[in-house]
Amino acid sequence: MTSFLPVLIGSALVLLLVLALFFRPALRTEKAKKPKVSGESPAFDEEYSVELAEPVRQNIIDTVPELPGSYGMDRLVLMIRDPYWLYSYWEVTATKMDEISGHLSPGLWESSRAVLRVYDVTGIDFDGHNAICSFDCSLGSPADEWYINVPSANRTYCVDLGRILPDGSFITILRSNMVTTPRDNLSDRFDEEWMWIEGLYFRQQMGVSSPLIIEELAERMGKLPLGISSPGFYNPHE
Amino acid sequence: MHTGYLCLILHAHLPYVRHPEHENLLEERWLYEAITETYIPLINAFERLVGENIPFRLTMSLSPTLISMLTDGLLQERYIKHIDKLVELSGREVERTYNTAFQASALMYQNLFRRCRDTFYRYDRNLVQAFKKFQDAGRLEIITCGATHGFLPLILNKNAVRAQVNTAIELHTRHLGKRPEGIWLPECAYTPGIDAILKENGIKFFILDTHGILFASHRPRYGVYAPIFCPTGVAAFGRDTESSKQVWSSNEGYPGDFHYREFYRDIGYDLDYEYIKPYIHPDGIRIHTGVKYFRITGRTDHKEPYQPAAAIEKAATHAGNFMFNREVQAEYLSRLMDRPPVIVAPYDAELFGHWWFEGPQWLEFLIKKMNFDQKKILMITPGDYLKLHGCNQVATPCASSWGHKGYNEVWLCGKNDWIYRHLHAASDRMEWLAGQYYNADGARLRALNQAAREVLLAQSSDWAFIMNTGTMTDYAIRRTKTHLDNFIRLFNEIKEDRIDEGSLHYLESKNNIFPDIDFRSFAGKTA
Repeated sequence: MTSFLPVLIGSALVLLLVLALFFRPALRTEKAKKPKVSGESPAFDEEYSVELAEPVRQNIIDTVPELPGSYGMDRLVLMIRDPYWLYSYWEVTATKMDEISGHLSPGLWESSRAVLRVYDVTGIDFDGHNAICSFDCSLGSPADEWYINVPSANRTYCVDLGRILPDGSFITILRSNMVTTPRDNLSDRFDEEWMWIEGLYFRQQMGVSSPLIIEELAERMGKLPLGISSPGFYNPHE
Repeated sequence: MHTGYLCLILHAHLPYVRHPEHENLLEERWLYEAITETYIPLINAFERLVGENIPFRLTMSLSPTLISMLTDGLLQERYIKHIDKLVELSGREVERTYNTAFQASALMYQNLFRRCRDTFYRYDRNLVQAFKKFQDAGRLEIITCGATHGFLPLILNKNAVRAQVNTAIELHTRHLGKRPEGIWLPECAYTPGIDAILKENGIKFFILDTHGILFASHRPRYGVYAPIFCPTGVAAFGRDTESSKQVWSSNEGYPGDFHYREFYRDIGYDLDYEYIKPYIHPDGIRIHTGVKYFRITGRTDHKEPYQPAAAIEKAATHAGNFMFNREVQAEYLSRLMDRPPVIVAPYDAELFGHWWFEGPQWLEFLIKKMNFDQKKILMITPGDYLKLHGCNQVATPCASSWGHKGYNEVWLCGKNDWIYRHLHAASDRMEWLAGQYYNADGARLRALNQAAREVLLAQSSDWAFIMNTGTMTDYAIRRTKTHLDNFIRLFNEIKEDRIDEGSLHYLESKNNIFPDIDFRSFAGKTA
């Protein structure tokens, strides 16, 4: 097997060469391009850096493999985009589907509609019934992913993929992992804990609490230019 | 006692763009350009400073993908070809520009390229050795990064995050001779829980964007001007916006000065095709050669010739301005604090030289001025700071990144969200493999290690980033899909016990990153 490889690679190279010659592009003489600068955030533009050379088309004939449409596992995954947006994707196996629709009387599945039920489970041990509050997102029928707009930063959410039956009852197909949205502002917790670390993580705590300079610093922190830089390339959010 | 500390951090990273199967892939040029314009100019600046006996302390992160490329024989060989061509081109340019306004620049490039070649040979083609030399001389604190710059909060699988961290530390230690004390979290992306994995690996600190510290669970008493300890005891330092803005911002930042070199006028595009043909892409595609003769001039298409001497003057002025502003800032902050404030100023290393051509000179001027012209501010590294100030406030930092809008959106949006269902499946399957075949040997062991490499390579945050920015997206998509596809094939072969050693060997030689990888790090047990 191994002895065939050089031959294979050799013939692949010849083929590449032939193809490369065949597809040789018209000579390009355009100028180096400068990306457009967005005027969206006037005060603090992102790092205006095209770190690397501008892209130019080249003839790469490598085939791009297709990835599987499904992995044969039941999963509903919840991810954080920012303090107010979650992203979820899911995969329901045929087995799971049959299992659920099999429990329903005929025709009921067809007349139900797909929703994502979003639970606020901040600070609780969620058992499926004790959420602080919840809301539904109606799904377009063939959806297998969804962006969810959530009301509050710094809250813990969990999502059920399910169906709402004509009588209004909800059946859960899959339950997601839990995520906590990031804060989008300064914390109101002023109680301070300090830690002394010496050598290899020797730990001794001492409580310190004095008002000090919070107000003045907070004033400086008032306007926060987030994402001044974006790494690597110029970011074209326009 | 100093009034304040300045902690400059250069984050050096490029994605793994080694393509033995293509002789002239444009993406591979990213590395060669960065070597010529950033890494070697920085090394030369450090050499001069050491030669003049000027003390300084800088922090640099060298990403494991970058270390792997800088120490790779094939890429070193190809870089020599690349720099030889540039030396040849610059020689022709010196002749061509004789008696023109471009002569000074042409000579400057010839000098630069020759120096690059000399430097490259002087370190035996291995630039990591150069950085190690400055580390061992006490000038640089070199920290690590994610193994392939994976965006850790979106990996979700904790053991896959462990593999990113663990693999990085192993590689770093092998090339730099000691374990890193700190890590540059890829894209400064953090979510609570990552610190615990860092602690398992002996990491003592990481860097976050400003709001990662300010929005911590408890309001930080000193804002970003002192680190906080996560409850695990790992320290988090926050980026200072003022010093960042002075260098990053396209409007107000130094790099936009009219005397500085214009990036977008390159002789690869400007000169006659027949003349420049040997120095551009063999398919006749015009590309940046690195030889650029104009200065920014103004917000106009009309560009004046670049004058190296005037640009150097500007770099010196800007260094002085930066230092002055830090002094004022430290003076002000120190009145509000019971300890000297630490001003953390992290930058992409490739900003210096490649994009901001005069950047390395600016840095050299800054270091010299800090040494000779002032006594208030001390340059330190995060590790130094923790040794000086072992008592810090405890709070859990806020999940954040340094990308646009400050959270995960750059890496999770309509243009790249499709990758995660595949990446997560691959991480979970790799974790399963690692548990199932923990004691594997022979071909199966090799297949498992290669599978781990493919998962890690697919996780590079660079791919999602490029898909989002809309340039070179084909390449990023191809890389993501190819590594995932390689993984899936290996997964099936391992599981079904039918490993194709021929194709395994091919993958091992093609994607040869992390020669000492241990797939067991995906099992969550660290050695």
